Order: sequence, then C-alpha cells, then structure tokens
Amino acid sequence: MRIFFQFLFLLMTTVAFAQRGGDSSQTNLDEVVVTATRTPRSMGNIAIPVAVISSKTLYQSGSLRLHDILAEQTGIQVIDNFGKGIQVQGLSSEYTLILIDGEPLIGRTAGVLDLSKITVKNIRKIEIVKGPSSSLYGSEAMGGVINIITDRAGQNKTDLGLRYGRFNSVDGNLNFSRRLNKTDLAASLNYNQSKGYSLKPNAVQKTVEPFRRSTQNLSIHQQLGSYWKAGASFRANASQIDNTIFVQNLGTTIASKGFEKNNEYNFTPYLQFNKEQKIKSILRGYLTGFNAVQQLAVKNATGGYDDRFRQLFARVENQTDWQITENAAFTSGAGIVRETVRSNRYDTASTLRTNSIGYFFVQHEQKFSSKLTWISGLRFDANLAYASVWSPKIAFQYKPSGKLKLNVSYGRGFKAPDFRQLYLNFTNLAAGAYSVFGSEVAVNELKRLSAAQLLDQTTALVGNLSALKPEVSGGLNAGIVYTLGAKSQFTANVFRNDLKNMIVTDIIAFKKNGGQIYSYFNLKRALTQGVELGAQQKIGEWIQLNAGYQFLYTADKEVLQSIKKGEVFQRSLTNGQAYRMSLSDYGGLPNRSRHTANLKFNAENAKGYFSTIRFIYRSRWGTSDLDGNGLINRSDEYAKGYVQVNASVGLPLASHWKCMAGIDNLFNYKDIPFLPGNPGRTGYIDIQFIF
Amino acid sequence: MRISRIIGSAMLALVVFQACEKNDAPVVVATLTEKTVSGIPADTIVGLVNGQPVGAGKFTFFSFETNAVVPSTDSNSVKWDVAVRGTTIITNGGNSGPGVGGAFVYVGTFDDVKAVPKDSVFRQDNAPVTYAVPNSSNKGWYVYSPVSMLITPVPGRVLVFKTAKGKYAKVEILNYYKGGVTPSATASDAEKLKNQRYYSFRFAYQADGTMNFK
Repeated sequence: MRIFFQFLFLLMTTVAFAQRGGDSSQTNLDEVVVTATRTPRSMGNIAIPVAVISSKTLYQSGSLRLHDILAEQTGIQVIDNFGKGIQVQGLSSEYTLILIDGEPLIGRTAGVLDLSKITVKNIRKIEIVKGPSSSLYGSEAMGGVINIITDRAGQNKTDLGLRYGRFNSVDGNLNFSRRLNKTDLAASLNYNQSKGYSLKPNAVQKTVEPFRRSTQNLSIHQQLGSYWKAGASFRANASQIDNTIFVQNLGTTIASKGFEKNNEYNFTPYLQFNKEQKIKSILRGYLTGFNAVQQLAVKNATGGYDDRFRQLFARVENQTDWQITENAAFTSGAGIVRETVRSNRYDTASTLRTNSIGYFFVQHEQKFSSKLTWISGLRFDANLAYASVWSPKIAFQYKPSGKLKLNVSYGRGFKAPDFRQLYLNFTNLAAGAYSVFGSEVAVNELKRLSAAQLLDQTTALVGNLSALKPEVSGGLNAGIVYTLGAKSQFTANVFRNDLKNMIVTDIIAFKKNGGQIYSYFNLKRALTQGVELGAQQKIGEWIQLNAGYQFLYTADKEVLQSIKKGEVFQRSLTNGQAYRMSLSDYGGLPNRSRHTANLKFNAENAKGYFSTIRFIYRSRWGTSDLDGNGLINRSDEYAKGYVQVNASVGLPLASHWKCMAGIDNLFNYKDIPFLPGNPGRTGYIDIQFIF
Repeated sequence: MRISRIIGSAMLALVVFQACEKNDAPVVVATLTEKTVSGIPADTIVGLVNGQPVGAGKFTFFSFETNAVVPSTDSNSVKWDVAVRGTTIITNGGNSGPGVGGAFVYVGTFDDVKAVPKDSVFRQDNAPVTYAVPNSSNKGWYVYSPVSMLITPVPGRVLVFKTAKGKYAKVEILNYYKGGVTPSATASDAEKLKNQRYYSFRFAYQADGTMNFK
C-alpha cells in the first residue's frame, strides 16, 4: 500500500506542471478559525481563547514535528513521558484533544499522545483553543484542543524539501497540490529519521534510540454541481524505533534487543451540501486505526517481551450549520462511534474489547448588537462502557470599542475512562508480584484469585468498585484583547479549571504472597488556575516582537484540605526532622512550572531574508517526592528552571530555491535526568525547491 | 483531716528547706533523655539469594535507658526496648520479648507528642503476622518507592513506645541509609543496597515512669 502511494507521488511530481503559490498567513484578528465553534469565524469575533500558528512561523522556526512548535507557545509545555505530550492550562496530555483537520487522533500510551509522530511539514496552520470544548468535541477536550490543518488542496504548487541536522537526522518532504477542472488534489510524503543520541558519556544504552518515521497524506475534493461537494482524505503514519535495552539487576547486566513499531492510518470520506451560506450540512465518516508492537528478546537467554496493542475508532457524523438571520446562527450535529481494542495488556491479543458512543450537540450564536455576542452550546454523550455525560458551554463577547474586546466563557469538559482503566489485567512478576485490574474486570479477577486460594485480604475500597464515571472539569476563562493600531496588540486571560472524578489507582486487596492488587477509582479532585499574558509589537518595518507569559497554580484539592487541617508533614533538608507543611510549601501537581515565558524576535524583509531568535523560559517544576510525603514540597524535589534559546536564518537562493539554517538550544542547556528529550545544541540546514 | 494535711505540708517544707540548706540549690533529677542516634545497622545486606538481597537475619537490639546497642545474647531479657531488622521494628513485649513493651504510630511531629495521650492503646507484636509498628510501605513508619527503589521515613510519624520495663519513649526515624544520607534516585542498585538498613533516629526517653515528655 505504502509503496503504491510513494510511486503515485513520484509520478505526480514528474508530470506536475505547477505555478509557485503564495503562502502567507499572518496571525491577526481577521484570520478565520474553525476550531473554537466548529464553524468558520474570524478570530476577532470569538469569545474563547484561540491562538493560531501560521505555516510561515512553522517554517521560520525550523519546526519538524508538532512538539517542536508547541514548545514555543505561551501556556503550553511539552512533557517527555511516554513520548512528547503537552500540558495546556496545567492539564496534562490525556486531557488535551489533538485533531488533524477536525478529526481526533488515537493511539495514546498511558494517556499520552506522542506529538513527535506528527510532521508539521504539510501544515497550513495550527489552531489552539484553550479551556474546555467538550460541548463540541466530546471526550478529552478538557484543557484544550489542538487542530492541525493540513495544506489546502488545489493550490497548483509543489515543493520538495530536505533537511539535515545533528545526530544524522534527516527529514525529506514532498508536498503536492493541484486543481484539475473541478477536482482538487493534495498529496504529501514525509520521511524522518535520526540515529538517536546518548546523553551520558560511555553509556551502553542510548537516551533516544535510532528511529525512522514516514507519513503520507492524500486528499481529493470534487465539486458536484453548485451545492454539493464530496471528497476523502487518507493519512498513513509509520514509525520504527530500534530497541537495545540494558537493565542492571543487582550487578548483572541483562541485554535485550528488539524494536517498537507503530502504524497508524486515518480515512475521512465526506459529502457536503452548501447553499449560499444559509445552510451547510456535512456528512463525514472517519476510520482510524493504531497498531503498536514492541518485541524484545533477551540476549543469551530465553524469554523476552511482547506487547501488542491494536485500536480502531470508527465514526459517522453529521453537522449542519444554519444561518437563521444575519445575527443568529445555529449548529447541530449527531454521530455514532465504535471503538475497539485488542491487546495482550488486557487479555490475549485476540480478545476484543469494544465501546460504542452515541452523541449529539447543538450550538446557538446570537449577536445582540455590534458590541455583544453570545454563544451557547450543549453536547450529550451516551456510552455503553461507562456513564453518560452532558457538556454545556456558554461564552460572551463584548466590544466596547474597536480597540478593546472582553471575552468570558464557561464550559464543562470530560474525559472518558480509557480501555486501560476499564480492562487492564496486568501482573508484574518481577517487582513485588503486584497486579493492576481495570474496573470492569477487577471483581471477576478477585473471585478467580480467591477461588485459587491466592487472596489474603481485601481492603475497604473493594466495596467502592463500580462502573467508572468520566473525569469532568469546569473551566472558566475571562480575557481581554487590546489592539493599538496595526502594530501592537496585548492580550490577557485568566483561567480556572476545577477537575473532579479524576481516576486514580488504589489498593483493593493483598495476595498471599504479599503482592498488592490495584484498581481504578474516581477519587481525586484538582484545580489549575492562572493568568496568561501576551504582547505583539512591530518594531520598524522589519522586526516583529512577540512576548508571552503564563502564571500557573495547580493543586490536588484533597491535599489542600489536609494541609489546612495540619495533617501534612515534610522533612527538613538540614536536620532531617519532620515539621508541619504550610500551604506555601506545597508545590502542586508534579511537572508544572509556576512561571513560563517566551520572547521571540523575528526580522524579515520583502525579499524573503529572515532571521529569528526565540527565548523560551520555564521555571522549576516538581519531579518526584523525596521526603516520603508523596508530594512536591522540598527544594530538591524540583528540576532546575532554564532558558532555551533557538535561532534561525533564511535566505532565498534562486527563483525556485529557499534555504534556511538554525540552531536549537544555542547555549547547550542540558538536564540529563529531567530533560532526557533535550540533546543539547542541535544545528540543521534545510533546503526547499518550490515550483 | 485538714490538720493532718497541714502537718504533712509543713513536714515536706521542712525537708525541702533542709535539702536546700545542704546543697544551696534545689535538686532537679533530669529524668528525660533526648538523643539522636545514627548508624544502627539493621541486618545489612550480605548477599543475594535467588537474586533477592538478604541479610544474616539478625535483629539489632537497642535500649533507650542506656542509649546503647544491646548484645543479641541478651535478647531474652528486659535489657532491650526496641530491635530492628530491615524495615521490621519489634518491641520487647507481645511474642517478641519477655518485657511489657508495645508501641503505636502517632501522626504528628516529634514536638507534638508532649505526653503520651491518656487514652493511648499500645499495640503488641504478634510476629510474623502483625507488629506493634506496622511493617508495610505507607502503613507504619516508611514508604517504599518502586520507581526509585528507595525507602524513606514518612514525615510526621512518631513511634511512641512502652519500654520493656513499662516506661515511655518517643522516636522519630530520620533516615534508613548509612551516614543518614539517602542515595540519589539515580544511584546504582548496588549503591542503594549496600548503604541501606542503617537507622538514624532521635528519641526522648522518660525514666521517671510518667507519660510526660517535658
């Protein structure tokens, strides 16, 4: 299949005769965005915090993968854990929805969707909506939604790019877009590899292992008469990581060799009816599959590791938008989803686990005057495998003058329990023989262990085992946008997210051999709140300055209560004695930095020469508990804050050639234990041929 | 009744007065000892059996009264109050020793325990099923991290002891590693094993038999 597509692309490029197309997409308030309301709206008219990253910014920043560019955005942190995940408004990766052209990506590991599997070389723009959007998108849209919008079809443009960088990293890219009569075509092909690196000198095992990745996209859109349009998009993504793992076990080194393979595909056919902007209805199908295999063989011994995970997500959805009057718009939608998973993490690799979801959503947008707009929305998700959930949202925008906009929104977000939390059936024979059972299988597993005389005693929590409920949040955002002419803009947004029913693991029983048995419960409550500030300023004709800052406070609410009651203690670093913890000692949820900021300078002239320098700051963040209270509180429990500086330059070579080069992490900042994904200073050079 | 009390008080005053005359200052017998102890080995690792680290299986016995380690030949006497082997802590009472000892875990700081609360219940050892000081992670005095494979005393846990002879002591365990320094989470397994099972703790022992720690 893949070979066929590669062949097809080569054929297309050799026969293609295309013109050079313009690509400029400046971020401004007239920019049309689709993610916040699921309808095209100009940014200045949306009462919800939205940010847009243009293809120009992507190119000038030298970004290759999605996490590269997101790491430079205000209020977004990239966290290295089971791949590159993101944190938005202090909510971790599992609470952030990632869309490609409006359709959700699947294939999460421990809740984290690895953003390094997404190339940004065929992206027109990225839209980022902060705060809950479950009223439109359902599960996972709690902290925010990132929508990757791929290159437009029908542009009569072809570009070919090649980049080489440190660690033998190569990225080759081909984008093709063409209009043939009433048919629009787009296709792209990306190949990315690196030989990996070791951060520790003389280490036998690499910090990042050699990998190869490829992505193919193909989309076709056909105009059928004046009202109807049909089309389909196809995307395939594959990656392979070499594994050479050395485990030190009490003086003996166990070496295993193997690989990790991830394959993913997405297929989106649609049929659209669009009548003079009055009514627009789209019927979309979406089929996506994720298939992960990891196999390790132990050297000079039998045994090894074999992990298989296959996930399938199929959806049919209709969305209809009515422009009722000039000042009122109505959107409604409904769909059904079927999800299946087969994995030997749960049972055998052939046992099928399924969930079906039916949902509908409505949204009403009303302009009361030129100054006041109101949006309200509601979504209902009914699930077979867990409790149903309602997600409402309301938003207001008030524009007292052309310069000033005030936005307030409140929404509920939710995250459905995942298959792991429902069906995991895992026993670790190596470390203490502990077991983890999903909530749906725990009771049966306990019965089985009890019948086999392996169960010692159960804890009080066994009585609380019940169907898991979705994790839910309430999110409030209030902000202003102040525009001073064409050259300056200031934004401020205050946010607060209250999460409850958060799923945690706890002990339900002990085995006779001493092993603990865990299951999942809706127990935790947490909050994240903060302020995000942004400023854009044009200096002279050529220089653009962007600055951003986020203050973030996070806490586990149960911990806050215990601290107030005086029930939480910490151990002094100086004399080793324990003392009572105060609220100000509490560092909140792990992996959160209280202060993050960025400062970006971008100089560019009309001929296409540019240079950028970007400063990204992150204050200390909690890593792990060291004084036995399970919390982040003591100064040695934090990783050091740091500034990373990235720079790039670009020059147009000849009429069809562009060249850019850059250095990421100019001052070679490294933190081996806490930033394993940061290899230090990395240089690269990138050449593009456009015709 | 009243007269006898007055006489009694007068006699007592006389005794005190005379005592003062002799020594120029009142004698205050210091009955509370506060000490910090470190480097008490608790069955340190001697090798591997089936890949699992093991010690020699011996307890180290300690007396609050003498602030010293008691030889194991005296294990069947009331000369010791507490003994340690790995993370297991036993008291001289129950089925662990001939004394009347017991213990319980108090949640709070060392200084919070100004006296043993009147309604306290001292648990006794019923080894190897239950111990006065519960011996599992996050249930008694320590927490074990399966990630870092380190043992850390839980802050805010005070072990209140009844000694072998029926007196009272309170203990805060400070560290479980040699020199009172926990190895870093990134240290090698060998380093973590070699240095573990050394107790550092501070204690207060009330010799006068009362429940006060002041």
